[in-house]
Amino acid sequence: MSAVMSRPAVMDVAVLGAGVMGSTAALFLARQGRRVALIDRKAIFREASGVNAGTLTLNMTRAALVPHALKGREMWLEARSWLGRDVGAVATPGLSLAFTEAECALLEERAAARREMGAPISVVGAARALEVEPGLNTTVRAAAYCPLDGFIPAYGVGRGYCLALCEAGVEIMENSAVDGIARAGGHYEIVSAGQVIARARSIVLAGGAWLERMMAWLGLRMRVKCLVNQLVVTERLPPVMGSVVSIANGLLSLKQFVNGTVVMGGGWQGRGHVDTGETSVIPANLVGNVRLASFTIPRLSEARIARIWLGFESETDDAMPAIGPIPGWENAFVIGCVHSGFTSGPYMGRLLAQAMDGQAVDLKAFDPARLLLSLPSAHKGFCS
Amino acid sequence: MTRRPDVVVAGGGVAGVMAAITARRHGLAVTLVDDNATPGGQVFREPSAFARTVTPPDHERREGDRLRELLRRSGVRVLSGWGIWSVQPGYRLDLSNDFAVQVLEAGSLVAATGAVERFFPFAGWTDPAVMGLAGASLLMRAGGVLPGRRTLVAGAGPLLFSVAHQVLDAGGEVVAIVDTATRTQWAARAATLALDPARLKTGVAWMARLARAGIPVLGGAVIRQARRGEDDLDVTIGSVRGGAPVRSVRCDAIACGYGLKPSLGLTRMLKARHVFDEAAGYWHPHADPFGRTDVAGLYVTGDGAGVRGAQMARLRGILTGHGLAFDHGRIDAATLAHLARPLLRAMRRLEVVSRAMTSLMNPRPAIMKEAEMHAPDTLMCRCERVSIAAGGQAIRDGAGDMNQFKAWTRCGMGPCQGRMCEDSARQLLARHTARAPTEVGAFTQRLPLRPVPVRALSGNFAYADIVLPQAAPP
Repeated sequence: MSAVMSRPAVMDVAVLGAGVMGSTAALFLARQGRRVALIDRKAIFREASGVNAGTLTLNMTRAALVPHALKGREMWLEARSWLGRDVGAVATPGLSLAFTEAECALLEERAAARREMGAPISVVGAARALEVEPGLNTTVRAAAYCPLDGFIPAYGVGRGYCLALCEAGVEIMENSAVDGIARAGGHYEIVSAGQVIARARSIVLAGGAWLERMMAWLGLRMRVKCLVNQLVVTERLPPVMGSVVSIANGLLSLKQFVNGTVVMGGGWQGRGHVDTGETSVIPANLVGNVRLASFTIPRLSEARIARIWLGFESETDDAMPAIGPIPGWENAFVIGCVHSGFTSGPYMGRLLAQAMDGQAVDLKAFDPARLLLSLPSAHKGFCS
Repeated sequence: MTRRPDVVVAGGGVAGVMAAITARRHGLAVTLVDDNATPGGQVFREPSAFARTVTPPDHERREGDRLRELLRRSGVRVLSGWGIWSVQPGYRLDLSNDFAVQVLEAGSLVAATGAVERFFPFAGWTDPAVMGLAGASLLMRAGGVLPGRRTLVAGAGPLLFSVAHQVLDAGGEVVAIVDTATRTQWAARAATLALDPARLKTGVAWMARLARAGIPVLGGAVIRQARRGEDDLDVTIGSVRGGAPVRSVRCDAIACGYGLKPSLGLTRMLKARHVFDEAAGYWHPHADPFGRTDVAGLYVTGDGAGVRGAQMARLRGILTGHGLAFDHGRIDAATLAHLARPLLRAMRRLEVVSRAMTSLMNPRPAIMKEAEMHAPDTLMCRCERVSIAAGGQAIRDGAGDMNQFKAWTRCGMGPCQGRMCEDSARQLLARHTARAPTEVGAFTQRLPLRPVPVRALSGNFAYADIVLPQAAPP
């Protein structure tokens, strides 16, 4: 490396974090004509946005998020119109099942809460559930049926984004672990390993599970809860199911992708910590998840498990996103940390870009100010 | 429930068996886990009853039978037919077979998981009549079955000549030997064989036999294409330096492989330090002569520590057994040094020869360039049907490391879990991005280490038996 590094040009916006939230914001900001740098400590879409279960479900989405998830789902299904390419999103019906009396009651309660927020969910009997999904265990008692569900092979989505971002002129800076931000004159300086790697008039913090640490750079404390979700995928199978299936308590998410593999999820936890990035499987949780899956779709008992992986899912204290200006810092914005963030990600990323463009969008419910704790804190993880 | 062993040895090849027996002789409680029906590993695999009637009782068979007998009488607990699908520090091993799972715990773990065949694609390699070199050897030795009537032997390294010899032994025909190494490269290393008279003698005998049989040996050459004819294969052979095809031959089976590479599942999962062997072209765990890795209680022995062949694997296994005895307080330092001295001396001699051979197995990046130039539609990942051209496109689209490459192409996501395609992916990525193989990384090792049947994992259960964590908020 040369001893004298030229100072990077001042960009309009530096987006920190190249997952779905940051990348979508970067894309729409660039299309507004801004010069955008998109920076990530690793490669694009390699954390939660690339390793999540790719769900487009409403049954499993928190009720308060249903209106946003509906819009996100639409965007994924129509990716060609705004991303310029298909990302393999598939629309299917969705079912949330009850096998016990207690689950029937829970099902009614959860369906009602989501219906109120605009999800077209109705509770149906076993016969109708088996008509929608003939692969189900016939002992099913009732199901919350939602015609609007679906899935995306999340691991490949980053490729579409990478191409679209390049076309829009976004400067993608991968493998650039940022360790601080400084205010210098009228702009921000982004520092990595003691070097200023980018300068920009505005910044967007979009670090997902790492957002708590990013906010700390600005002396602010925002608590980010971090789940370590364990996911399981089978080898390719002949068709065993055609819908997205969950159960009333939310501990199962099952779908068969176009290539025949079945992904089993449902928020079963593994071990991990965001500071080290290290994760490990908890075998007992794997057994629980696999039992639930093969009970629900009995033909899964014939499958073999090809791979288990883990990813960090981040949530704010109220599981609603933080989207908007960062209090006390000029031209600084934050986005992320919402439950099922991948589903609503494109919608929320575009929303921030519109807000930064001065368009009239309502971000009140997402105001980051509500999440700020009074005192700045030392870096501390919440995953263990 | 048996008591927790002091040591679990993973792998029942010669290194694993010798490590287990040696540790047991020092009084340690040892359990050996092996996924084959009987111990012996790849080199000393127990022949089928049929194979015993049709193939001669060669050195490997006699040694294998002796090894199995030694193990039977050793007091080592042997779990045959169980595969390890998960490992956790401490150590906890999760085992499975087709029907059940079980957990094994021990303070020390010896990874003696040997080596796997290395392969690089050529047009037509997915034809059912194409098999690995080591695979062909197993088919003949353990199964008593020829790969075909007329076999083309191709790839790199000494296994080429061993397999050709086995084909002739079994009454088959070898149409040619296609070797990426040139005669000059062999000559430069042949001198080292003087240090290993046994291997030299075998090598000379093989070569003389091939010459007598008039079998052409094409050096500096690769298979460019195998086209399926009505009842055989039409094979085009090119030079490793490119240019026009040098020859075409017809055969009904191809045995092709580019040497072996260490099997890294356990050591990668446990985050042991790995180093890239430039000459051999593969990663291996860093270990001392006793097999101690940088992870406390984790040992690696035999070809898993770097491919050196069966003779070295035996010595390494014994050394690891002595090292375990010392580390568990069964012998003192002086005894260890005394026991290790002759083994280390023998190993030093063999090491020179083995190192020379590993470099002959390494075809280097030229091999992928050759395939990409002449047959870009050739599959590099068979499980997921990813072509070399599709791989190249993903790299041009921005996949800059092995795991992004995997995500964007699915190369390595299939049932083989990247064992077959990782080397091809690394070479392609390194060449396209003009970086060293070490810089483009490796596929992240994921569990299960081998596919696990859902039925084995879930067992028999009722819905009420499923232990559910707290439900998500409504």
